[in-house]
Order: sequence, then C-alpha cells, then structure tokens
Amino acid sequence: MTKQKILKVKNGDVNSAVNDFLGELLKSGKLSALLVPQNVPSKKVVFPVLISDPNKLDANVFAPLLPVSTAKMISKITKFQPSDKPIGVVIHPCQIRALIELVKLNQANLNNIIIIGVDCLGTFPVNVYADFPEKKNPLDIVIDDLKSNNNKSEQYLRSACIVCNEPVPINADIIIGVFGMDISKEILIEAVSESGSKILEDLKLDSAKDLKKREKYIKDLIENRTKKLEAFIKEKTKNSDIESLTNFFDKCVNCHNCMNVCPICYCKECLYDSSVFDAEAYKYVKKSESKGLFKMPNDSLLFHLGRMNHMILSCVKCGLCEQGCPMNISLMDVFIPTAQNAQKEFKYHPGKDSKEKVPMIVYREDEYVEVGEK
Amino acid sequence: MSDEKKNETKDFEPKIVGFLCNWCSYAGADLAGTSRIQYPPNVRIIRVMCSGSVDSMYILRALLEGADGVFVGGCHPGDCHYIDGNYKARRRMVLLENILETLGIEKERVWIRWISASEGQKFADTMKDMTDAIRKLGPNPISKKWNI
Repeated sequence: MTKQKILKVKNGDVNSAVNDFLGELLKSGKLSALLVPQNVPSKKVVFPVLISDPNKLDANVFAPLLPVSTAKMISKITKFQPSDKPIGVVIHPCQIRALIELVKLNQANLNNIIIIGVDCLGTFPVNVYADFPEKKNPLDIVIDDLKSNNNKSEQYLRSACIVCNEPVPINADIIIGVFGMDISKEILIEAVSESGSKILEDLKLDSAKDLKKREKYIKDLIENRTKKLEAFIKEKTKNSDIESLTNFFDKCVNCHNCMNVCPICYCKECLYDSSVFDAEAYKYVKKSESKGLFKMPNDSLLFHLGRMNHMILSCVKCGLCEQGCPMNISLMDVFIPTAQNAQKEFKYHPGKDSKEKVPMIVYREDEYVEVGEK
Repeated sequence: MSDEKKNETKDFEPKIVGFLCNWCSYAGADLAGTSRIQYPPNVRIIRVMCSGSVDSMYILRALLEGADGVFVGGCHPGDCHYIDGNYKARRRMVLLENILETLGIEKERVWIRWISASEGQKFADTMKDMTDAIRKLGPNPISKKWNI
C-alpha cells in the first residue's frame, strides 16, 4: 500500500523542510526518538544522533557523509533488547541493506524500528567533508548537481559511491525522495510499508500526482551506475594475480580498522585479533629461516583474505572499510569485484529480504553436485 | 623454459596439506596404510572432526605459508557423521574458489574430494592424481613471497 505525499520546500531550503517534517513526527508522539544524521556544533561533520527533544533537531539528512555505519549504531541500540517504543532511523540505502544483514545475523532487531530511507546523493570521505576545499558547503554541491543534472560532486565522492547502483532505498518504511523531483519546490515522502503509512496518516501533506519523471530519473541513474560498476570491475580484475595482490596490501599496517568499521563484521572477538597467530620466539626465527627473512607484522594478507571469506557474501559495498583505512588502501578495488562475483555465484542479494538466510548456513542436497567429484 | 625453472620442476616435490575428516577420509587413509597400498608421501595429513569444520582460514593459511596444494577430504554427501557438515563444506569451497579466481590465485591448488572409510584405494589414487597435478602446476608462487 504505497502512499506518496509531497513535502513543500520553502525558499529552496531542503534541509529546513525535512527538519520540519521530522520534528512533526517527534512532536506528534508517533516516534519517541529519532536517529538522524545531525550537524555537530562545529558544523564540520554530521553524525548519527538519537534525538528525543524535537527542539534539539538540526538534521542534515542529505549531507554527503557517512562517518560511521548507521546500521551498526542501530545494532547497538537494539541488540540486547528490542525497543518497546517506536524509534525512527534516517538512514542511507547501503546502511539499510547492512541493517537487514545484521538482522539475519541476529545482531539487530527491527521491532518498533521505523526505517526512513533517503535517496543517497553519494558521500565524501570524512576528511574531505570536514575540511572542504570550496567556499560552498558540501551539501550545496550535491544539491546543485541534482538540480542542474551536473556531475561536479563526483570528484569528491568516495569510490564506492561513484559505482553504487543501489542509491534508492529498498526495505524502508518511509522514503524521503529527491531523485527526479523539483527539489527547490518539493520533496517526495513515500510510505512503503504499513507501519510507514500509519506514521504518515494524520500529517497534512498533499498527495503526489505525477511521479513518472522520478521513475525515469531513477531508471537512468541505475542504468548509468551499473555501467560504471561493470567497467570498474572489469578494470580492477584485468590483471589480477598473486603478485599484484601482495603489492596491493603492501601498505597495510594490520590495524584491523577495516574490520572495526565494517557493518557486517560483528564478532565480539575476531579470530584475527586473538592470539591464535602468536607464537614462541623460536617459531618466528624458524619462519625467517625458511625464506631468509620474515615481514612483520605478520599475516596481514591472511587477515584480509580470511575476513573476505567470512563477510563477502553479506558485503553491501558501502566502502566504509576504505574510508576507515589509515593507510589509504583503495580496498574497494578488491572488495567490489569479489563481492559481486561471489554474490552472483550464490544468487544472493544482501539486504534484499530479511527472511532469507545467509548462504553459508544453508545448503541444498542437489546443488554443486560436481564439487568433490572428478 | 629457463634451465633454472627446468631443474626446479624436475626436482620439485610438492608439499600438500591434507585436512581429512575423522569419520570417513581419515579412516580411508588409514585403510590405505593397513592395506599396504602405495601412495606418494607428499601429503601431510591433519585429522579434523568434520570437513565442515575446515574454515577457509586453514586453507588460506596453508597456501600463504607456502604449501603447494591443500586437500580437504570428507564423507560422501549424505553420509556425514554430523548430518550436514560436508554440505556446508561444499558451499564454503565454492565460495573460496570463487574468491581465489577473482583475485587471480590458482584455485587448482585446492582440492576437495569425498572418500569413505572403505575407499583406501580411492584415497591412494586421489593422492597420486593430486601430486601429479600439483607437480605439473609447479611450486606455489606465494612460497617465494615474503611481503604477505
């Protein structure tokens, strides 16, 4: 039961229109709290903030920034006990997918969680956003691009966002839409689920009339991005061999930050953080003697390949690992191609359906019968 | 082929790490031994309780530490002592091979085979086949790398 409403924008100020709308939800008591990307006092960055007082709301939902995984924050809130009061979460499409994966992995609970997805305009690396080199602020750059159909923001976008072909939320209860809308005048508010339409019920919003322009815009955008994604994968897997792979991870200091920021990596104690790989001094010397030398810290490639094997089927290609890497290793170059190929093999679309199980815990007797037989 | 490479392949004895499940493949290997069936000594056998307990980390670690091949042996599908361990091992192997292929690492160095406790001959034949195949592939290129 899709309900499409229009949120009027006054004086071209997208942000205050969205703030009014979100504030209304809080004031009406339909939501007892709201997790939104909100400007920090210095306005340098936006972070997810759980707001219960509508007067403190200073949301910036279209800010091109994803400092931490919002899905992980929702996991933090709901992991021990599902919420007994309705909480709205304003969240990027990739993070909704990550959230659904966390639900499958029993790390989050969607009871009383109202997912408010936003059309994603792409995000900049945190440092670029915080010390933005232009006079305009980052939000205006992406909004201007959207209005004029330009691509000026692409130079700042994270590589994961440039090739993202899922910029429109799926599995949301409510969608705040800007693609294909005349955003100096109006924004789309769409209730996708039943709980979403209940929330929108008494709000004084006009119904949307003609959304053909939006549909076409989204279709073109996804087509365009899919082409970019395919070209990216082709480019990055053209010369893949062990030589280029080891060179690729040369800068890795084994800090495991890619794992810490990854929305999917949820293990309390990661195998690779444990002492499994520690050994007595004589063993290190022995290892050195086998090749004549031994690089430290050890096992960084093993860590990346092992982690990849554990999480790649649920990888939502959000690129937070790359953003979190202190050595600026372009991790998307290997994670996007491997994720794409592995998910294709298992016909698995992470984040699509919370009822589906992750591929590694299920099996069918009649599948892959050729494996293990000559 | 350079002279050096020729010598290398001629004298090359592959090192294979074998993870064998306690209930089938390990017993199969045992049978091969007690039946005095000859097979190449290139495989170093590690007994595990189930092929489903072989995390891809074990296989990757063996490869990265310089093993020329990794063998995983489990019960025939449907015969798993723990009902479905080998079905899960099968999926895991498909995933591992897919990842290795994307990254350009030779997936031919990783074998999984179903060998029951009564198949001593099959175990010996499989070891012979695998040793020959790995000998043809040559030494694992990772074994020369130290920046891993």
